[in-house]
Amino acid sequence: MKETQAVIERIKQVNLGYQRIELSVDESLLQIKPGQSILARLTETWDPYLRQQWFPVNLLNGKLIVERPLSETYEIGQVIHVLGIIGQPFRFRKTLRNVLLVAYDTPPIPLLMTIPWLLANKVSVTIALLGVATSYDTQHLPPEVEVELGNNEGEFLWQNQVMTLGWADQVFVTVGPDNEFSRFANVIERVRELRHDVPRHYLFGVFQQLLPCGAGACHSCMIRTDEGTALICLEGPAFDLTQVILR
Amino acid sequence: MSVEITRNTKNAITIQTPMMPAAGTFGFGDVYRDIIKVDLLGAIVTSPVTYEPWHPATGTKVVPLDSGVLVHTGLPNPGLHKTLKTYRNLWSMMPIPVILHLVATTAEQIRKSITRIDEEECIAGIELGLNDDISAQEAVKLVETAVKRGEKPVLVRLPMLDAYEIAEAVADAGADALIISAPPRGTARDPKTGKLVSGRVYSPIVKPMVLRVVGQLMRRLKEIPVIGAGGIHTLQDARDYLEAGATAVQVDSVAWIQPDMLEKIARDLGGKSVTKETGAFPDEWYPGMGDTEREKRRRGESFKE
Repeated sequence: MKETQAVIERIKQVNLGYQRIELSVDESLLQIKPGQSILARLTETWDPYLRQQWFPVNLLNGKLIVERPLSETYEIGQVIHVLGIIGQPFRFRKTLRNVLLVAYDTPPIPLLMTIPWLLANKVSVTIALLGVATSYDTQHLPPEVEVELGNNEGEFLWQNQVMTLGWADQVFVTVGPDNEFSRFANVIERVRELRHDVPRHYLFGVFQQLLPCGAGACHSCMIRTDEGTALICLEGPAFDLTQVILR
Repeated sequence: MSVEITRNTKNAITIQTPMMPAAGTFGFGDVYRDIIKVDLLGAIVTSPVTYEPWHPATGTKVVPLDSGVLVHTGLPNPGLHKTLKTYRNLWSMMPIPVILHLVATTAEQIRKSITRIDEEECIAGIELGLNDDISAQEAVKLVETAVKRGEKPVLVRLPMLDAYEIAEAVADAGADALIISAPPRGTARDPKTGKLVSGRVYSPIVKPMVLRVVGQLMRRLKEIPVIGAGGIHTLQDARDYLEAGATAVQVDSVAWIQPDMLEKIARDLGGKSVTKETGAFPDEWYPGMGDTEREKRRRGESFKE
């Protein structure tokens, strides 16, 4: 991990709610992989105090691409103070053919960097957008990605749910950050209803807790697993939901 | 420059730079090694350790505040035995003293913990963290137990709000140094869940409050080193504590949000901020003094190069 600076090179609106920002970054950050993130600090002041966690959505021509809401204002040439790389890459199976990504009441941004990587490796991708995530405009995503929309009433439900859960070799789910543990508990309960078994390394929860340090120093992102404890900032963000103690 | 941060006993702790990271902000010495030069710090204070393992808190653990953050971790740790087993080798190789932050609420826990810690050569001292709602009587009992039981110096971290009431009693009970203070406790509403959350408050705004406590207590406390801790975010913040009478400082959450500030403060307090190149003339550091030009004239060299 290093503390470095990044410079905004380009900004482009990609859909109704989001803009993509192209960042020139330190070489060390070009090793970033799907699932990993950076902690960004935009000001020299102490407000806001905590760094924002940014999950890149792509790595193109030596530039890191991040996606931020249009409501936030950025400028070309703006310097961002960056701490990273945070966390571990998603652990994909070697024999992977089909992946299901699920954004449940949260934008799917932490999952998006997987898409170009998976498509390049000839893995088919379906993304399910549920609850508030249904308002996420997917027109900028590659056409090979199949999009399933749930209703916007906060249920973990979409059409062909049984089929897609059976078809997927691995599932990565991100949920609204208001009550991650309870939501993940509901997710695994629902998946257990729909599949006769949920094997290890099949269903992953992508945690988005606030990370004060991102380095394993403050221990505020520690979770309990059936093997002991784990730090989201060092060992996450994705954890096998069958191994996390959620209640 | 070396500073004795505990009373002058046979196992007194001497550090080269009067600053160290505060407990709970620097892990067990295994983090930030890629970002800062750890050997520039005066010492390392470990994350809190209890005799038995403690689990992480459930629910909201971090609430952002204006210019600060509220954190409630539940002090998760694998327990004393596993902590020692995991980090003994690392601490043995550390070029600076390692102070173990011990959390104990009963005399029995302290007895068992200190007996165990005393066997470890890699630990220079014990920082005893006191509960926020502890009475002077209870604090004295815990500190006396700790001091009598072991050989290593016992530094005691006081809660901010009760520091006035218990500092003298703790010092009289035999503490080797006082840390003033633990981050204050607060309650804030989590914007994500709408629930109120209690935890420790980390912010630059804490510094003026703790600095006053340090200043006031320095007048009353005699012959016991005081380490100032709370809200240090700049070099000047750290110097302010030393000016108020503190022997050294502990730096907390700035390590999380701007890790290199730890090294900057350590360099500053350790007298390493200005590093002159050998053979350099003063005007290369203070333009306008003209020493280079004078020297070149003396040598007969042209200074229109």
